[in-house]
Amino acid sequence: MKIVVCIKQVPNTDTVKIDPKTNNLVRSNVEGIINLFDRNAIEAALQLRQQAGGEVILLSMGPNSYISSLRDGLAMGADSAILLSSRKFGGADTLATAYVLSEAIKKIGNVDLILFGRQSVDADTGQVGPIVAEELQVPQVTFAESIELQDKNQLIGHRLLDNLVQEVKVHLPAVVTVRDEMNQPRYETPLNIQKSFEKEIIIWSENELAVDPAQIGQTGSPTVVKRIYSPEKAGRQTTTLPTDPHAAVTQLLEELNN
Amino acid sequence: MNNEIWVFVQVNGQIIEPTSLQLITKAREIAGERPVVALITETKTMNVETTVKEYGPDKIVTLKDAQFHNASDGEIADALDQVVSDLKPNSLLFPATVLGRSVAPRLQAKLKTGLTADCLDIYFDGDDLVQVKPTYGDDIMCEIICPDVRPQMATIRPNIFKAVKHSTDTEIINYSFAFHPEANIEVLSEIPVINSSANISEAKTVIALGRGANNEKVIEKAEKLAGKLGGMVGVSRPLTDNDEFSHENQIGQSGNTIAPDLLINFGISGAVQYAVGIENAKKVVSINTDAHAPIFGKSDYAFVGDADAFMSALLEQVR
Repeated sequence: MKIVVCIKQVPNTDTVKIDPKTNNLVRSNVEGIINLFDRNAIEAALQLRQQAGGEVILLSMGPNSYISSLRDGLAMGADSAILLSSRKFGGADTLATAYVLSEAIKKIGNVDLILFGRQSVDADTGQVGPIVAEELQVPQVTFAESIELQDKNQLIGHRLLDNLVQEVKVHLPAVVTVRDEMNQPRYETPLNIQKSFEKEIIIWSENELAVDPAQIGQTGSPTVVKRIYSPEKAGRQTTTLPTDPHAAVTQLLEELNN
Repeated sequence: MNNEIWVFVQVNGQIIEPTSLQLITKAREIAGERPVVALITETKTMNVETTVKEYGPDKIVTLKDAQFHNASDGEIADALDQVVSDLKPNSLLFPATVLGRSVAPRLQAKLKTGLTADCLDIYFDGDDLVQVKPTYGDDIMCEIICPDVRPQMATIRPNIFKAVKHSTDTEIINYSFAFHPEANIEVLSEIPVINSSANISEAKTVIALGRGANNEKVIEKAEKLAGKLGGMVGVSRPLTDNDEFSHENQIGQSGNTIAPDLLINFGISGAVQYAVGIENAKKVVSINTDAHAPIFGKSDYAFVGDADAFMSALLEQVR
């Protein structure tokens, strides 16, 4: 089985600030980590590899600093990693990002399964998986809480829709986006960390891919960020309750009943 | 291209997903002269339009086919693509439910347009639909537009807006299209989740637990307190790693938006990812050992101290 796991490096969300003068995000000195849900996707891939054999390839699009996340994914046990990196890819929204990922997956060739985390914790869209599925014309199981390989070509997934559990059978190749309920991502072992540094991280730019220049980067992105701001909300009038818990609860219940 | 705002009406089994109706009301509110159109996919025996009509869209477009029972995301997107490519709405709104967030991007890829996920607000600036969403945590909001391509697409967070009935003359169009079955996928079954405690987004009282209240004693007491108050227990993101909680209990940006009459936060610091999920709570009480926790800025009542002690006192004194 050839499994591609698409991962995103995200800033540690508590540390991103907004520059009050320029209203831009200040991203310097922000440590990048693998998007949490993407670890579940890597774990799912590693478990499938254990079951069916094959290889797990990590794929990401971003600047060269993203190598650190790919390295982490390799240390979890993935076989190889590809970074799609180019100035021309910069400023991409979900449509342009998914387009480049799809072209890379076509170039990798003979991929059976493409896994994503359910969504990123920063931009929080969860859109790239379904767009890739559409670009590649393959079926999708989004927000999957379990997947089970039936045979080499079929997979059964369960996904929790808004008030029902849907059981879906897909023929591979397919796209699956993984909920964190599916598994507990493994820790990186010292041996795997050591091994990860022996693995090469392949870098592809637009020169290695058959991409249409009009569909990549900012040019290929229909959406535009109009404004970024820190909302100033009318705060609530806060009453501080007494420090003694019983007195505090007494006052609270009295006020709530009024 | 026309100037219509379309709202996709999600139907789960026989039930209309409430967000769709909320979006019809919101669309009417921001529409100005623009007609509001509800877009329905349903089986031939269903009559969802009867209910949708009560919320006053100017038009309802229905796509009827028996195969919408157990349709895949790809099949729904394909059907929507046919009608959207033909009638060319200006804007197209989806509920940011699991289904909405799965179908909308597939449709986006077909239409090669922009899609903003999980918006908290939308408004028009000229012909641009401004889509407001939180990003990167830490009190940062983002306004996104799609200036050159139509339709302008967005998925919108459930329970941000209120659905209000409105009486108007609604034109109903039964749109004829071809249902194209997707070869490589089969929906085997759909089993309703029997959720005795209902959805946290609709709970009237919520006891919310965060990292500072993550121990078994407190969790047990919280369940008891929720039982006494007729409420539900919710958690911030870190506690979804516990066995007893899942994403269904999670409050905040990647979880549920709640709007209870009373919310009591135990050991929650109040990062923006959490705070955006509780903005619609009526009364907010927060308990935290850190007097400077941001949650206190979002609270009506603050108790600086131990979660367990306060919870015990509450359990004793609430009848």
